[in-house]
Amino acid sequence: MVFTTALNFVRSRGPDEFWRKRKIFKLAAHFIGRRRNCYSIAIRNVHRALVYATKGRQLKKEDMANLWETRVRAGCEQHDIPYDTFKEGLTRCDILLNRKVLSELACWEPYTFKALTDVARRRAIDDGLKGATSSNDIDRILTRGSLNKT
Amino acid sequence: MSSLKRVQQWATFARIWHIYNAAWQNPFHSSELIKKYLMGMYKPIYHPMNDCGDHVIVINSKEIALPGDEWKKRVYFHHTGYPGGATWTLAWELHQKDPTMIMKKAVYNSMDGNLQRRYTMQRLHIFPDENVPKEFLGNVTNEIKQLRPMPKRLDCYPEKDVKEFPKVIDYPEDYVIR
Repeated sequence: MVFTTALNFVRSRGPDEFWRKRKIFKLAAHFIGRRRNCYSIAIRNVHRALVYATKGRQLKKEDMANLWETRVRAGCEQHDIPYDTFKEGLTRCDILLNRKVLSELACWEPYTFKALTDVARRRAIDDGLKGATSSNDIDRILTRGSLNKT
Repeated sequence: MSSLKRVQQWATFARIWHIYNAAWQNPFHSSELIKKYLMGMYKPIYHPMNDCGDHVIVINSKEIALPGDEWKKRVYFHHTGYPGGATWTLAWELHQKDPTMIMKKAVYNSMDGNLQRRYTMQRLHIFPDENVPKEFLGNVTNEIKQLRPMPKRLDCYPEKDVKEFPKVIDYPEDYVIR
């Protein structure tokens, strides 16, 4: 709620019924029907809406995390590397990108994402992680492990 | 927008047709796989409000394999809405009535119940056998790999191959093969 003057906010806490109710009605301004006009109904719905808003702040984060993971999994599947192997391979290469950035790369920068899967696959094969299949693209990538071996 | 970018966008958002052979597959595990293609969750551009789902043709739904004794134990519930209108149908009965129904319900139940679910289901085409209309088959560009490989039965091999297959022993003359 926006108070254009500090004076109005001071009033809205006070004993004056009009200003006290006005604060609630302002929050209920976008409701439909009697919810926005009758105080006793409006206050109930405002309380409910504030509860939803509180819960929603956490839910939004979880939903976004789920979406990012779905996208990264889809990208990994296209390049034939399991998600867990991909993440572990990147971590061992000290490429510490989070799921948000990885999903954006998978969506908007598919070639960059493919390079990342190649790096992770090279590392996974060198370290003997499960689920990584060899391909010609990773021959040009060197890791510390592959240097030690040869 | 250059013509290359335009074509790239068409290619990205074009609907793809997949085909899945349900013979000898567990419908409840397959439904998780099919759902992924129906909703477009296998694309990195996936978003719940982004219309990027594909079409899936399921063939041979008559030949699905339910695990264990589920043909006898799994029950499908239906209510007509009238008093006493509840019916419980066993899986084998439902399969006899409509060989596509178990597969359809498995996919339907694997998705979250939201407004999009019924529209997503419209992109699923199930056929009890391999008779798929020509105009459907012409669209197909991808085959979804079966969850379990289908072994070839002995009676499907030509008789010549069976006879010429190398043997470890010869059966004794008086051995009775049942």
